[in-house]
Amino acid sequence: MRTRVEVVARRGPGGRTVLPVVRGSGQLAVRRTGPSAVHLVATAFGPLGGDDAEIRLVVEEGAVLAVRSVAAAVALPARDGDRPSVQRVLAEVAGELDLRMEPTVVARGAHHRAGLTAELAAGAVLTATEQVLLGRTGEEPGRWTGTTRVVADGRPLVHTTVGLGPGAPAWLPPVAPRAYASTVHVGQAAGVLTAGDAVRLPLDTGWVATAWGAELHTVVRAVEAVA
Amino acid sequence: MTASLLTLADSRLPAGGHTHSGGVEQAIAAGLVRDPASLAAFLLRRLVTSGAVAAGLAAAACRGRNLPVLDAEADARTPSPALRAASRQQGRGLVRVGRRAWPSPLWDALPAAPHHPVALGVAAAAGGLTPRDAAAAAAYLSVSGPATAAQRLLAMDPLTVAAVTARLAPEIDAVAEDCLSRADGELSADTDPLLDLLAEVHATRGDRFFAS
Repeated sequence: MRTRVEVVARRGPGGRTVLPVVRGSGQLAVRRTGPSAVHLVATAFGPLGGDDAEIRLVVEEGAVLAVRSVAAAVALPARDGDRPSVQRVLAEVAGELDLRMEPTVVARGAHHRAGLTAELAAGAVLTATEQVLLGRTGEEPGRWTGTTRVVADGRPLVHTTVGLGPGAPAWLPPVAPRAYASTVHVGQAAGVLTAGDAVRLPLDTGWVATAWGAELHTVVRAVEAVA
Repeated sequence: MTASLLTLADSRLPAGGHTHSGGVEQAIAAGLVRDPASLAAFLLRRLVTSGAVAAGLAAAACRGRNLPVLDAEADARTPSPALRAASRQQGRGLVRVGRRAWPSPLWDALPAAPHHPVALGVAAAAGGLTPRDAAAAAAYLSVSGPATAAQRLLAMDPLTVAAVTARLAPEIDAVAEDCLSRADGELSADTDPLLDLLAEVHATRGDRFFAS
């Protein structure tokens, strides 16, 4: 199934953010839940292997946008073949974007590909989180591939692809975690910070924090501790 | 292939690579590398992440793509400050010996203290090699140096370590092939957060033998 979401945030009269475009189709509906906030609502199970979702977010200069989802997404295998499910977030930010969706759970036999591509203008602020759990309770892990590319003022700030789960070439014992969380922030600089299975790395005017482990709730706490 | 490739991938080329362990020193300290089997797993995860990125960058630099742009892409794929410093140190070392070994105007287009894979691609081009050669050298160097470092630190049997490295040949070839078969201009960005963590913990230690 093809899913398309588009949200545009614009600075309106008096400096308040208005959302002239709020559009969802396919498996995601978009609900305005605040003056500058939207929630994505899944309208179907899934995603299933072969599903393709594209989420376009535009935050113009002086505008603020918060994007949330209402529940975890459970990526399920394709009914036929082994095609991955795909979700691309394409963000153009001159204002401030805060993107924090609920976790993605990748069921056994499924492969989910998540992408975030953000083009930031000078002075833009971005916070984007990713939370992943491989396999539901008592289930074998699925596979997840996540790519983050942030370009600030025309210069690539960070571009990384993390592959998790059986079949991902670098997901090898003894470090083959089921849970993973990552936050990328541009706006306020921070230096290196390390913890048990967590690390924060500096970017020009920002940072990226990553944590991994066996349980999602401890991994989320770990990434928040170094964020 | 020409003999230049053998020179480029030779650990005796004085480019400074021998002072870096590619994360192996800290992996040993963390108990992740203890024996030949755990070393092989560590080398494989390094090969398919930072090795694949290095192969892609080296091939692109050899092909003549804009070097400052590639260097910025290398930075974006190396957010760890310790790994950035290690890459730039080795890049500078390679430029120093490469300029003498393979004189060419190509060197002049490199930024100062370039990332190692970018310098490696230029060295390959200056030495008359192909992008495939550059990728193979980068992929091979991503495991050969760390293997030697593990041998020294754990006092492992050199024959065993040589065999571990030699058995990775199909994976090394696959990494080199993969970066050539990618869509136009697409560079691998595969990363292993574990290597970032190990590198940053290692950088704070006062008792290390290797620079990285």
